[in-house]
Amino acid sequence: MMEFVLFLGLCFVLGGLGVASNPSPYYGVMGLVVAAVAGCGWLVSLGVSFVSLVLVMVYLGGMLVVFVYSVSLAADPYPESWVDWGVVGYGFGMGLVVMVGLVVGGVLGMVMGEGVLGSEELLSVRLDFSGVAVFYSYGVGLLLIGGWGLLLTLFVVLELVRGLSRGAIRAV
Amino acid sequence: MSYLHLSFYSAFTLSSLGMAFHRTHLISALLCLECMMLSMYMALAMWPIQMQSTSSTLLPIIMLTFSACEAGTGLALLVASTRTHGSDHLHNFNLLQC
Repeated sequence: MMEFVLFLGLCFVLGGLGVASNPSPYYGVMGLVVAAVAGCGWLVSLGVSFVSLVLVMVYLGGMLVVFVYSVSLAADPYPESWVDWGVVGYGFGMGLVVMVGLVVGGVLGMVMGEGVLGSEELLSVRLDFSGVAVFYSYGVGLLLIGGWGLLLTLFVVLELVRGLSRGAIRAV
Repeated sequence: MSYLHLSFYSAFTLSSLGMAFHRTHLISALLCLECMMLSMYMALAMWPIQMQSTSSTLLPIIMLTFSACEAGTGLALLVASTRTHGSDHLHNFNLLQC
């Protein structure tokens, strides 16, 4: 079980490397999906299953779907994947920079294990559910501010893509 | 440092390097920004596990809300720039013309 969590952590970092090496955006989105799925599995194995569900619903099922639709703006006739030399060079270079930083910082020898939330008692309600329920009781101001920010973002987006004669950026 | 911290720390560093050294497409930089947000979400979700304080579970949810706002605004800028310049290639964005 411990090895599976290590494997998920490694998949998270490899997904991040796959996005950071800047291939064509079709492949970059795939790397991001791999990283998000590995992150969800990792959070479930640590016990916070609600936070993992929020990640998979809002991030993977909401934001990344919108990104996938927007990637159609970036149509290349010959899309570069991870087998092209430019992308491989970027990936190796960035991985090398991070590895050198980790070795120089001396952190590779200090890797330890991890525990699970609420594993020492039996409860009928998971602890992270009751943690997010604070959002509706004492944190109601934060809920209203977050909702107002989202509504404001809707109008910002509508104004940015208005185009033609009014709006922030116009078509010439 | 546990391997969890190492994992999202290196993912954050890699994606910020990827955003700094972006090559052709604007949307690749936006995808690297999304990966930075994902690693920050994982970092904030580790907090209630390690400190055993469950009310901090609120923090990653709030961060995801504002990250959604920022992703939407970034994509709107991408659409507006593509409409003006014809593509999202960054070497075409050299004429500051509206």
